[in-house]
Amino acid sequence: MVMKIIEFIISPLVAFIIGVFFLGLSRKIVARIHQRYGPPIIQPLLDVIKLFHQKGFSHGVLFDLGLILSLAGSIVVILFLPFAGICPLKSSGGLLVILYVMLFLPLGIALSGGEGANPNISIGISRKLILSLGYEVPFLLIILSVMSFYRTISIVDIVNSQGGFRWALFSPLFLSGIAYFMILPAMLGMRPFDIVSAPQEISTGPQVEYGGKYLGLSHIQHAFSIFITIALFVDLFLGGGENIFYFFLKMLVVFVSMVLIHSVFPRLRLEQALRYLWRWPTVLAFLGVIISQIVR
Amino acid sequence: MNLEILLSIAFGGAFLTYISGKISPRLRDFLAVLISLILTGFLGYLYGKTQQISYFSFLGIPLLLRINTLSWFFAIAIQVITTLSILFSLSYMRGKERLDFYYLMMLLVNAGMLGIVLAGDLLSFYIFWEIMSWSAFLLISYNRGAALEAGMKYIVMSIIGSICMLVAMISLYTNYSTLNISQISSQISSASSGYILFIVILLFVAFGIKNAVWPFHTWLPPAHSEAPSPFSAVLSGVLIKMGTFGFVLLMYVIAGLNIFLTLGRGSLHYVISLLAGITILIPTFIAIFQDDAKRLLAWSSISQVGYIIVGIAIGTSMGFAGGLFHFFNHAFFKALLFLCIGAVEYRVSTRDLNSLGGLIKKMPFIFFGTLVGVCGLIGVPLTNGFVSKWLIYKTLILNDYPFLAFVALLGTWGTILYSYKLLHNVFLGSLPTRFEKIQEAPVTMRIPVVILSLIILLFGILPGIPLKIVNSIAVSAGFPSLDVSIWGISSEKGTLNMVNIFTAVLISLVFMRLIFQMGEKRVRIPQEDSYAAGSYIPIDKYNYTLEFYQPLFRMIKPYFRDFVDVFYSKIVKAGRGLSDRTRKIYCGDLGYYVTYIVLFLAILIAIKLWGKVW
Repeated sequence: MVMKIIEFIISPLVAFIIGVFFLGLSRKIVARIHQRYGPPIIQPLLDVIKLFHQKGFSHGVLFDLGLILSLAGSIVVILFLPFAGICPLKSSGGLLVILYVMLFLPLGIALSGGEGANPNISIGISRKLILSLGYEVPFLLIILSVMSFYRTISIVDIVNSQGGFRWALFSPLFLSGIAYFMILPAMLGMRPFDIVSAPQEISTGPQVEYGGKYLGLSHIQHAFSIFITIALFVDLFLGGGENIFYFFLKMLVVFVSMVLIHSVFPRLRLEQALRYLWRWPTVLAFLGVIISQIVR
Repeated sequence: MNLEILLSIAFGGAFLTYISGKISPRLRDFLAVLISLILTGFLGYLYGKTQQISYFSFLGIPLLLRINTLSWFFAIAIQVITTLSILFSLSYMRGKERLDFYYLMMLLVNAGMLGIVLAGDLLSFYIFWEIMSWSAFLLISYNRGAALEAGMKYIVMSIIGSICMLVAMISLYTNYSTLNISQISSQISSASSGYILFIVILLFVAFGIKNAVWPFHTWLPPAHSEAPSPFSAVLSGVLIKMGTFGFVLLMYVIAGLNIFLTLGRGSLHYVISLLAGITILIPTFIAIFQDDAKRLLAWSSISQVGYIIVGIAIGTSMGFAGGLFHFFNHAFFKALLFLCIGAVEYRVSTRDLNSLGGLIKKMPFIFFGTLVGVCGLIGVPLTNGFVSKWLIYKTLILNDYPFLAFVALLGTWGTILYSYKLLHNVFLGSLPTRFEKIQEAPVTMRIPVVILSLIILLFGILPGIPLKIVNSIAVSAGFPSLDVSIWGISSEKGTLNMVNIFTAVLISLVFMRLIFQMGEKRVRIPQEDSYAAGSYIPIDKYNYTLEFYQPLFRMIKPYFRDFVDVFYSKIVKAGRGLSDRTRKIYCGDLGYYVTYIVLFLAILIAIKLWGKVW
């Protein structure tokens, strides 16, 4: 019982630390590529602390509630994700529930932003929903190929069947794995897919009305969503992690490669992004499903 | 005896309401609500009872009524939705004309639907089916104008369905000389599979039209959007589900599980599932680009019907439970959404998604109702829609239908797009100044909204309550029993525990709320006080609602049109052209007819002279 409670506390905490670390790391790497020195790695954490001491402006009840809902949803997803043998909610619904609870993240932000009554927010959310429809097409096919290959909807079982370097990436599912890697920047909202925030066009879109602790919470939410997206990839295709160190190492490799892509590419337009997402990643994911049906 | 009394109250009450309306409108309103409440209570009393009675004999055919878990499950959904819609009508319909007629038809539709689910033989089934169809036609075209056209489209397709049903019934009667459903189902197992296929296809058309399965869906969008909103709720919530009831009856009672799954070398149920898959996908994407709130919901109803049929037709116990449960859930959240949009329409007298916005400030109650309904529609966890969709997805994934599962999941993501559009364009964004004086909806509108929202959340957190009933229906249809408990469902390959999820969400919410509280105090600001990168946002000018998903629209527009509707319109046009040409020949002028006769004789003589054929 005590172990269980510790698990419930430890997983969101680890997710928070890793997420915030990644935020700082990405700023540092991008700065080095730009031949700048860059802020210290703990800068995002300092920012959050600072923002909590500033006055925040609210547009209404839903404006607060949506943001809280989004964060609570992130925490629940983290409780469903196994890492280093810890998975507090392993017997409550599996991968399908993860897919659905992940809805809370954009939905909460969309509801909160909706009450902001700023056209930039509405444009940003409209872009976010279209972009997510774009990457969900290959993403759902990938998830389905994994679930039907391992014949289970439990993510813990999927991780367990990849034990001892039998990673899904090196199994017949490798096409799905490549497709997942190709859509990761879009899922993280990194360049060339930072269409949703696009500071120069719609002044950071959904976040434009956030200030003070609202902005701080939205940074935390961003950190959580980075953790969730990459941890899901590591769990599904890189065999999870036997201990926290391996898990972190795998996440780090994936994230750094994303940052490298992020720092050299310009932004795509929404139609170009959709065209990309619905072409190669979808074709690969489609082949992945067919292979998973044949080989299994 | 009970069932006779129930239907007598339902039909008698309808006419009593009509007559009382001639005396006093208040008495009529009171009677309409009272009768539907009595019926609800009566049905609650009938829970768990099984009974079969013969109430009449027509040309030597005994007409039967029966109740079992399946009919009870449908009947209670029908009665609750109709009761709440009638309650909603009290203020929605106030001041409109022909109200006696409206309530008569509302109660007649209700009685007809109760009759359908309680019918024990095909003849009573058909009679009640027609009562329901025709009263629904009168209600759809209640507003005249465009509604009349929508009603015509509905009734023409409905008649085609009825004819198919009649042919199947006559064929069954000539073969087995009985119309009793249970007798037919015991005799049909000896029939050839070709004959069963014939019956199944005929009845599939009949029920598919009512249930708006692709490609029989074209009547639904205009009918749903033109009908009065409380009736739209009944129409979408339960009336089209009479088709679902028909499917269950056809597949698992008349044909029976084993026969159904082997029909057409085991491919028939797969073909039906594929049709249902198309029904999910195409209407979802059409719904994204609708500008009329009710038309958007109408397209969404079609796609949700797809989920129900996929679940039922796939033929496993989990899928069957998912499909039936989704019927039940869809009845509640779609009725809720139609009522909410009706309440908005009642206050601002428009439902055009491009001219609304910001109404959350004026109608918070209705907003939260819509939010719950939308969450149910998407299937957000903690709403009932999630549980049923989870069951359907799980069936599709573990029984190796990955592409159907893909279609079902993708349909859900499309659902998010149109649901958010509905929420955003009506309630979120900036409030135009012309809506400054709008008030919250009246109490008789809020009560149904609250009740429906609570039902959705309750069955989302404790899905075991309805799932136990669904499970006993599945067992009586011949499926193996599921391991259902109050908090969800457990099985070897993945367990669902809603109470755990609920607790986790609740704790996380409280936790985040505390963290939120830790920060500096927040300051409430009016909507005009927003950031626009240094430029000024003029009030009323920058509400981003028009063409909400324009980039997507530009990309997929050429592929997503309602080809079926275009095709039917072409047939109708061709038929009209043919009739026009026939009319030119039979022009009514005696001189022409004499000429035709002379010409015909001349041709006969010519054939006789040169051909020597006889």
